[in-house]
Amino acid sequence: MDFNAFISDANLLPWLIPVGPLLAFLIITLLTNRSKLVPATSAEYGGHHPDYEGMPVLVVADRSRVISIIVGMSGAIAAWLISLRVVADALALPDFGKKVLESSAVWMSTGAFTFNMGVLVDPLTVIMLIMVPLAVVMIFIYSIGYMAHDPRQARFFSLISLFAGAMLTLVVADNLLLLFVGWEVMGLCSYLLIGFWFEKHSAYRAAIKAFTTTRVADVIMLLGIVYLYATTGTLNFRDILYNPAPEVEAVTEEGQAFKLDTVFARLPSAQEGESGETAAEGEAHSEGEAASAEEGHTETWAQRLAATPAIAFGGISAAGLIGIFLIIGTIGKSAQFPLHVWLPDAMEGPTPVSAMIHAAAMVSAGVYAIIRMYPLFEAGGHPHDGDFTSPLMLMAIVGSFTALFAATIAIAQNDVKKVLAYSTISQLGFMVAALGIGGFVPAAFHLITHAFFKALLFLASGAVIHGMEHGEHHVHAHGHGHGGGGTDGEFAHDAHAAHGHEHGIVPHAGVPHAGSSIEPHDAAIGDEHDTLHAHAFDPQDMMNMGGLRKTMPITFITFLIGGLSLSGLPLVTAGFWSKDEILAEAWLGLTEGFGPHALVFIALALAAFMTAFYTARQLCLTFLGEPRTEEAKHASLGNGVVSATMTLPLIILSVFAIIAGFVGVHPDFPILGGIFSANGNPFFNLVTLSLVEKPPKIDFNIIPVLFSFGIALGGLWLGYLVYGRKPLTAGQPDPMIDALGSSVHNTLKNKYYFDELYTALLVKPSQWFSRNVSYLFLDKGVIDGFLHLIGRAFTWFGDMLKVVNAWLIDGVGDGVPELFVRFGAWARNIQTGRVQQYMLLIIVVALIIGIVFAVSTGTLQASP
Amino acid sequence: MVPLWMYLAVAAAMFCIGVYGVLARRNAVAILMSVELMLSAVNINLVAFWRYITPENMSGQAFAAFVFVIAAAEAAVGLAIVISIYRSRRSVIVEDVNVLKG
Amino acid sequence: MTIIGIDVLTFLIAASAVGGAALVLLPGTAQYRTLVRYTALTISTVIAGISIAVFFAYTGSTNTGGFGMEVNVPWFPVLGVNWHVGIDGISAAMVLLTGILTPLAILISFEIEERVNFHMALILFFAAGSYGVFVAMDLMIFFLFYELTLVPMYFLIDQWGGPNRKYASTKFFIYSLGGSLGMLLAVQLIGWSVSQVPAEVVETLRATTPALANYAAGSPSFSIGVINALWPALTTQVGGLFLGIDVNAVKGLAFLGFFIAFAIKVPVWPFHTWLPDAHSEAPTAGSMLLAGVMLKLGAYGFLRLVIPFFPDVWVSDISILGAFTTNFATILAFLAMLGVVLGAFSAFGQNDIKRLVAYSSVNHMGFVAMGIAVAALTYGQMYMSGGSAFVQDAILATNGAVMQMFNHGLSSAGMFLLAGAIYHKTHTRDMTQYGGFWVKAPIYGGIFVFTSMASLGLPGLNGFVSEFLVVRGSWTVFTTLTIISMIGLLFTGGYILKGIRGVLQGPFNMHWKDYKLEIEVREVIAIAPLMALMLITGIAPNWILSVINATVSLMMGVQV
Repeated sequence: MDFNAFISDANLLPWLIPVGPLLAFLIITLLTNRSKLVPATSAEYGGHHPDYEGMPVLVVADRSRVISIIVGMSGAIAAWLISLRVVADALALPDFGKKVLESSAVWMSTGAFTFNMGVLVDPLTVIMLIMVPLAVVMIFIYSIGYMAHDPRQARFFSLISLFAGAMLTLVVADNLLLLFVGWEVMGLCSYLLIGFWFEKHSAYRAAIKAFTTTRVADVIMLLGIVYLYATTGTLNFRDILYNPAPEVEAVTEEGQAFKLDTVFARLPSAQEGESGETAAEGEAHSEGEAASAEEGHTETWAQRLAATPAIAFGGISAAGLIGIFLIIGTIGKSAQFPLHVWLPDAMEGPTPVSAMIHAAAMVSAGVYAIIRMYPLFEAGGHPHDGDFTSPLMLMAIVGSFTALFAATIAIAQNDVKKVLAYSTISQLGFMVAALGIGGFVPAAFHLITHAFFKALLFLASGAVIHGMEHGEHHVHAHGHGHGGGGTDGEFAHDAHAAHGHEHGIVPHAGVPHAGSSIEPHDAAIGDEHDTLHAHAFDPQDMMNMGGLRKTMPITFITFLIGGLSLSGLPLVTAGFWSKDEILAEAWLGLTEGFGPHALVFIALALAAFMTAFYTARQLCLTFLGEPRTEEAKHASLGNGVVSATMTLPLIILSVFAIIAGFVGVHPDFPILGGIFSANGNPFFNLVTLSLVEKPPKIDFNIIPVLFSFGIALGGLWLGYLVYGRKPLTAGQPDPMIDALGSSVHNTLKNKYYFDELYTALLVKPSQWFSRNVSYLFLDKGVIDGFLHLIGRAFTWFGDMLKVVNAWLIDGVGDGVPELFVRFGAWARNIQTGRVQQYMLLIIVVALIIGIVFAVSTGTLQASP
Repeated sequence: MVPLWMYLAVAAAMFCIGVYGVLARRNAVAILMSVELMLSAVNINLVAFWRYITPENMSGQAFAAFVFVIAAAEAAVGLAIVISIYRSRRSVIVEDVNVLKG
Repeated sequence: MTIIGIDVLTFLIAASAVGGAALVLLPGTAQYRTLVRYTALTISTVIAGISIAVFFAYTGSTNTGGFGMEVNVPWFPVLGVNWHVGIDGISAAMVLLTGILTPLAILISFEIEERVNFHMALILFFAAGSYGVFVAMDLMIFFLFYELTLVPMYFLIDQWGGPNRKYASTKFFIYSLGGSLGMLLAVQLIGWSVSQVPAEVVETLRATTPALANYAAGSPSFSIGVINALWPALTTQVGGLFLGIDVNAVKGLAFLGFFIAFAIKVPVWPFHTWLPDAHSEAPTAGSMLLAGVMLKLGAYGFLRLVIPFFPDVWVSDISILGAFTTNFATILAFLAMLGVVLGAFSAFGQNDIKRLVAYSSVNHMGFVAMGIAVAALTYGQMYMSGGSAFVQDAILATNGAVMQMFNHGLSSAGMFLLAGAIYHKTHTRDMTQYGGFWVKAPIYGGIFVFTSMASLGLPGLNGFVSEFLVVRGSWTVFTTLTIISMIGLLFTGGYILKGIRGVLQGPFNMHWKDYKLEIEVREVIAIAPLMALMLITGIAPNWILSVINATVSLMMGVQV
């Protein structure tokens, strides 16, 4: 293979984007992750463990730590630089959109055909390639400082490199299967990173919960992929969504000499009387499509699928069913209701991971996947004319509900990262809802701006936590070692008692002790270590903070920028512009009387108001007023490398959290439109190049803009009114408890008890079913019972044969010789040894014989 | 002349006495003597039948002569056995000699 | 291709058997243990090298029905039994799998201390039997080797197994042997009954079937190729009555004989309960070979024999209690679905690490059975009516099934290796007694997570490719069943995570403070090839899939 071709050929260059981080992962894992043994009580071994007295533990060697950081950083930076080059190449393409950068290679043989894997850089990829590698690099830099004292920092860098590599693979993928590969590898990375401090019960439970919850969605998404592949014979984005589908005849050959067989009628799914169509769209697309194909072979697969009835679940089109399957995948990955439960718990991971999951990578991937496949969901409907397909309806309802639902929970959270987690869910709901009403461009726009300000917010909150731990360390200098960013001790605050970790929805939270009695004296083995290192102080609880603006000024300013962007502070923040576009889109439909638009507008407006409110609450509780604890008083990032590497990304990201919005200003927006969008909305123009059917340009309308102004400012003002004007003092309860009533507040605080609900309805029953029905009843009871019955029947039969054998066969066999023995024993009595008796016997016998002879021959009669 | 049945009666009586002796006596020598008695009774029969029924045929006398020889031999062997038994067992009572018991 | 005058496929069998016999002759006493171990390792590595060479040297040709390296020598001419061996793409993959796993199993058996020579010999005997099954092109030879594999495995479990080994080995042996009794009768019946096919039918078929070239009409034959062509041709019209019984009834009974024998071996769902016992009680090497190779014998039997022999039986209507009509292919798909779902649930319900891994085999082999069901249905339809709407689906599903056989061989062998490694160190299989081993065994932990993920079917690793193909292939054919089997795929995640959690995560259990838990170098060497193959196959599956695909396409009548 000519390596130079990868550099010189713009079509091949995208292959190299994920290579850097993936290579970094391999190198760190295989080569540079060397550990040394230290006593468990050593300060080098962080605070994330029960006390392993007298046991040496492994800590990454200093040199390995440095080399691993260098390797990881090199990978990320390489990916970033290559991405920039690729973006430049792509934008320089004449007629970009119609022409794209793409290349692919045979991945597997499928009969007479092949399945190709490749890379694709189209306008949508370009905007992701601008955002993702940049955010990744920032997170990597931040991790140098944040994880500096972690005993497994090299492993952290290897995993996060894999995470980045997977995300980049997903971004440059040219087909749904490769996208799914990246999607799932990210799922693995998030599992491993959420559970990075795997000794903590809450951490590994959160990890398992995240993996399992997203897997629910992923297997359904796999069905969607499979269905799509089965129907079209390809998974390539361009072939499905952009390029004209092949002519029907050509496809028929692909299906071989097919003959509709009677067997089809026997299939359960096809029995609903539509076997003809169902069969036709298996591999061979005939009939209905033949008609549309005659119109001139310009329709895409997406459009053709919209005209095809689904294989099952009659009533919706194939495109609709595939769309619903794929959207369910996103509901899991982007933590939409009802699969949102994993994301707040995912905060158990180190904070850079939270940023990675919530901003740059994983949850964005979910929305990105929908945006990527959007024409398929829209096919057959025109949301701008009030004509909705079922996937769009699903998105509109789920998205707007999630946006509102998560926002209400965020109001009542006290954990600084949990607030952000719920705000992420809520903001993703914005995007999904926007897509549901046809807001392709606003959703993509919000995806990008959100990624920047949410990455900023997470990193800043990580800095806050780090600062608080620093303060804690300062206060308890004699106490346990510096935690290196640990998040242990969930159970400090009374209010946290029901925080949900210990109710983890993890399917096997706590492998049961019952039936494990090999060494019953080892009662400590198992799950009951929870309280071992429950600290009395929670560095993530906002109630413990306050007044941090003084000791952590840079963190304060950057957090403020991020927070204002999240709340959509008008005109100057990125969040305003993207949110405003979504509302404008919804408003337009609302004025025309479309139900989904109205739903989305009302839900999102309310959610946006709450967003501004809880952001103000968070800012006020964290930074304003006076420190409510000793720890908060001493909170700081300190000096040196740790401080620098953590601060730099904050500053860079806060710049993007402001300017990212200016690429998507409406051209007719007063004054600013003229400045930033003189030649039309640049973001709109770029992104819509990905589509065959461009969405209509929305006319500028002042009403939604005024709404945006009012909502953002109103929410922020109300939040400031409650929390900022009279900052809370130590020990003072949250004013929200009074305002909402304690029962409502508790419901919100406990996330509407979804964790408990799922545990009771899904987790416990499936555990019970697995152990008791599937294993003990079916396998051990019924099947083995049956086998043992057969076995016992044969044993019984054998026993019976044994009896017959003993009586009959042995009876005859032994009886005959026995008879002779008995006769002989009797006969020997004659043999007395007395000669005279013998003689007597002889005489008697001779007499008898003589008499018998005489009588029988008549000698007696004849003698006279 | 003396009729044949008288000879036969004497011989039968002698034979019965011999049989009785053989079966009833415990002394081996007495048993031997009883056997001699039975042989003599047979001899009387042989000679009597020869004389009264086939005097022209000498086979009766010849048989009688054979019986004498056998009787002599038998007496010699029998007495020798008895004496050797007596030597080993210090007894000539047949009940004491039951080595043939099965 | 010959080695010292013996053709290479026969050599694979013979070398394994002779090598095993040679090991038995070596002294079994303690001071010769090292000698025995390294001799066994050398022998098996050489054989593995040959099997790899066989895989890469194999080229199929349409003229030979896709078979290569054929050797056909009369053996029992009276019965029509020939020493007939050869490989196609499916066998090549299986020969490769056997070749790879044998030396690794031997390497892992270095932990065995007693009667080392016998242990190693049994592994080689087992390999000989497996090679025999995979290369056999004569039904009698197939059956011979198929039964022969049972014996070494029985003794491996019975002599070196866990605490409950007597029960497990007896159950395993009797169940397997009892299951194949029907097959023995069917084999004899089939071999004789091809002689009943009228000469004119044979002549018609001769033109299109390479295997019939040297077959004399009216003679009994056990050649699989001949049977493929002639046995399905027997109908009530052709060949007529059969010892006074309707020929279809005879075929149905013969089918059941084969079906049950192979269904037990795969194992298809309700026939699977021998597996968790045998796997969890077997020594590590036994578990590896049992899961890695032995289960494949059943699936291979389905593909090689049951599908081509009984195309008509697979798709013929059968009525269940008069309520609804179905066919055997659909029944197999239904059982496969149950295997996927209930296998996953049962695995999820375990606290015993080896039993958990054992049940994962039921789950994974369910996908193989699903692919086989799709292949059977399509092949049957094509045979009955000359075409099928599902040809492309069947190719994909069958590719997936064969890939899954290979992949499951890698990942389950790896999982058993790791479970055995930790069992060997802790002497307990109860995961509730473990806890937080990742603290003391980071390398073991990394390998465990990697292998678990391959087993889970993480995209980018091998298992995903095959599961995707099977799901894709069965989607159009058995839509509802495929959807339900997704529950199994979900709980695959459940039990894999339970395994990781049980072994690695959580606070370290100080009970094991003074134990050496980290994986040994020897074990790393043993699992490294497996991991490399998992990764390579996941990233670029075509190195093996193209070989499989050529054969499978040919089977489905598609020219590649």
